[in-house]
Amino acid sequence: MSTTFKIQTTTHCDVLIIGAGGAALRCAAEILEKTPDADVIALTKVSHPQKSHTSTAQGGLAAVDPKDPLDSTLFHMFDTWKGSDCTADQNVVKKICESAWEQILWLENRGMHFSRDPQGQLSKRTFGGHTRNFGETSVHRAVFEADRTGKGIMDTGWGETLKRGITFINQCLAVELLIKDKQCGGCVVYKQKEGEFIRILAKATIFASGGSGQVFQVTTNCRQNTGDGLALALESGLPVMDPEAVQFHPTGIVGPGILASETLRSVGGILRNQALEPFMINYAPKMKELAPRDMVARAIESEIREGRGILNPDHNIPHVWIDLRHLPDEVHEKQIPEVSSFFKRYVNLDPKKELCPVRPSNHYHMGGIPTNEFGEVQNEQQETIAGLYAVGECAAASFHGFNRLGTNSILELITMGKLVAERVVEHIKDEPKSRLDIGVDQFAKRFSRYMGATGGDSLGELRNKMRSVMTEKVSVFRTETGIKDAIETLNELKERADNTAIAGRGLAMNQELVQRWELDNLLAVSMVICLAALDRKESRGAHFRDDYPVRKDDFNYHTLISMVEFGTPELGRREVDMSVFKAGGERYEMFDIIERKY
Amino acid sequence: MTSTYDITLNVHRYDPDKERKWIQTYQLEAGRIMRFVDVLRKINDTDDSTLAWGSSCEHGQCGTCSMKINGKPLLSCELLVENAVKYFGTTTFTVEPLDVAPVVRDLVVDTEKAYERIDRVKPYIINPVLQDEDEMEHQISPETLERYVDATRCINCFCCVSACISSHENFLGPNAMLAAIVRIMDPREQEKQERLDCLYSADGVYRCHSSQACSFVCPKEIDVAHFIALAKEGAL
Ligand SMILES: Cc1cc2nc3c(=O)[nH]c(=O)nc-3n(C[C@H](O)[C@H](O)[C@H](O)COP(=O)(O)OP(=O)(O)OC[C@H]3O[C@@H](n4cnc5c(N)ncnc54)[C@H](O)[C@@H]3O)c2cc1C
Ligand code: SF4
Ligand code: SF4
Repeated sequence: MSTTFKIQTTTHCDVLIIGAGGAALRCAAEILEKTPDADVIALTKVSHPQKSHTSTAQGGLAAVDPKDPLDSTLFHMFDTWKGSDCTADQNVVKKICESAWEQILWLENRGMHFSRDPQGQLSKRTFGGHTRNFGETSVHRAVFEADRTGKGIMDTGWGETLKRGITFINQCLAVELLIKDKQCGGCVVYKQKEGEFIRILAKATIFASGGSGQVFQVTTNCRQNTGDGLALALESGLPVMDPEAVQFHPTGIVGPGILASETLRSVGGILRNQALEPFMINYAPKMKELAPRDMVARAIESEIREGRGILNPDHNIPHVWIDLRHLPDEVHEKQIPEVSSFFKRYVNLDPKKELCPVRPSNHYHMGGIPTNEFGEVQNEQQETIAGLYAVGECAAASFHGFNRLGTNSILELITMGKLVAERVVEHIKDEPKSRLDIGVDQFAKRFSRYMGATGGDSLGELRNKMRSVMTEKVSVFRTETGIKDAIETLNELKERADNTAIAGRGLAMNQELVQRWELDNLLAVSMVICLAALDRKESRGAHFRDDYPVRKDDFNYHTLISMVEFGTPELGRREVDMSVFKAGGERYEMFDIIERKY
Repeated sequence: MTSTYDITLNVHRYDPDKERKWIQTYQLEAGRIMRFVDVLRKINDTDDSTLAWGSSCEHGQCGTCSMKINGKPLLSCELLVENAVKYFGTTTFTVEPLDVAPVVRDLVVDTEKAYERIDRVKPYIINPVLQDEDEMEHQISPETLERYVDATRCINCFCCVSACISSHENFLGPNAMLAAIVRIMDPREQEKQERLDCLYSADGVYRCHSSQACSFVCPKEIDVAHFIALAKEGAL
């Protein structure tokens, strides 16, 4: 029986947001505060906005408190610039850092339950890379809500938008962008619960669709982070910027990939290989376990690659050990209680008595849909697409360049969320009532193809193959041969995926169909990561080429890559904005191309 | 130590297209530290790709993967096979969707419907206390925050609602009560009366008969019943 795909209904609105995570909710709240009668629709893949990935962010968000005599916005800007390995855009860095505290107050005034100091003001803590006086000493810059800062943002953002009459469409997928003549008019949406496809026409469409961590086998990211936004942009002929900039956390817990914080190493945890040798001494003789994140990640990956890792039989994933057995009980109980409990809960090990399995875990995608400093999406020629915006992890403005500092992501959500909203409010005021009406047919062809395929592969198996080749060949270490191997595998997997049959025939809550569509997105995102990584013959931030281990000035640019046909890319470049340096203000020389040395 | 278990899952399934309900048995080998979400994924990947179930973060922070296993509402991302065998004393498990909203397919329920209870108590500050200088944060002492901070940790997984007998009738349910209680205890909320009216309404705290089932099942270990007891005593 063949399934036919057609649009059931068409809905009109002022603003359509693809996503309902932290970035989406902050943006929506601002639009609704400024224009209370605007029709705002937010889409989410999960069963309710609160289940979005932002809810898992733990540590905190960076913001310089103007009352703090020790810190300054300029220091925050510098740390971000240096951390990015001189590839962040300085106009964006300036905007975000300058508006940070105001956005913290926005959240506080609307009920976020920030942790407090004895005076009743917001508590602050320090994080890697937070410094004063341009790297001199560390500084307390991150505000937080215990170990659930992201949840605090989500609860506040969801509450505020609910209060102001937003419409959420939960458990749905944006499957096709409506775009023509450099204008965007909305998108096609698959409502999973109803098994229906609808068309939503909007004056403004905002991508806030989050990350792409599922590209890799071990990731701290949620199951829905399949890079849908990036794939939709590519399919519409738009470029993705810096896809090769992917961050890995050195110690994810095997197999779920859950984040085991840096603290484990700072309190004296020792990394050991299969022979139980402490191997960090071979990679960083002085700093050992305390070397920077990317160095530790590469050391662990080297041990694994050279056969000195251990294979976890339950998850079929290689790892090394972190040894915490020698630490006094007091350290276990007072300094690392949550992480200890993670090992207990997810791998049933007692870190006081047993070795714990860890390995690098994919964590964050710096690359994304290119936008200008107002979140307006740009094409390959850097012209803006009218009515189309991007914000949050799916976007690249770029605040993080080639390496993101901890606590800077959720800051980006709330600051850029607000800035984008201001633009959108202006745009919908001027926009006439009748909206761009674009014919749709891509989604129908695509989904008919999925339902018509008859091959016998298992989608899960194909996905696992993709995730393991990306982890083995294109994660913390990259070489020309490795990347080329991965590209070959991706091509093969794409072909097999195209033939894979779907057993479930109904459209309502057909999880397999969703996974089939997601697999196409994952393959597309993996492919552009590979192609961009191949082209960048240098090492920069999180992108490390074994065969080109140093940063080169010739590559001081952002990669732009478009790929309408799978595997046939078009590469371009965007200049890195150095306006702070060029303006020649206070300590401008710190914003030149500097070394990233800690 | 056993490294794998041969387990049997009796899964309550539902097909909305044919409006058919049935119990399907899956037998598989599962590693000791596989979690129930990993087990379900293994079934999807190797045996039956049509079995629908929900999850998102898969580390106990989002509350999407709640289901009933041998009758107990829990987060399936937190249940390791080895622990399940020990806890329930069997290798056979009945897996059911949470009974807090209509089933969409198999183990997936209409979470949006379950959330209607939360929406009714207005999970936001209705009328914020304005600051003298609006550039400032409110001062909240750590002691004040300590009184209600546990109630803010709720992730709306609805396990408590499933366990609470009263929630199956008119009671708004333990987590909705928490959402209201937080805002009564939060000094930044001015609109206390509307909240108290809701809390002491016919669907409110007096429906609770203090069984403490909510506290017992809460995966975040929130003593929900304690907060409800405070509300009953008028001690918020
Ligand atoms: C474990 C962990 C800890 C972290 N801790 C920190 C921290 O302490 N500090 C920090 O700054 N950062 C942290 N991060 C990073 C940060 O959490 C994320 O980068 C950020 O939350 C992303 O927010 P977002 O709004 O862009 O996307 P998300 O919150 O991921 O939201 C994306 C939304 O889009 C929806 N969506 C996606 N695709 C579609 C589609 N096709 N159709 C419809 N809807 C769609 C999703 O359902 C979701 O609602 C952490 C990340 C992890 C994994
Ligand atoms: S204590 Fe009250 S709210 Fe909790 S389960 Fe029992 S009846 Fe329900
Ligand atoms: S109170 Fe606990 S069990 Fe109930 S919804 Fe919240 S987190 Fe879940």
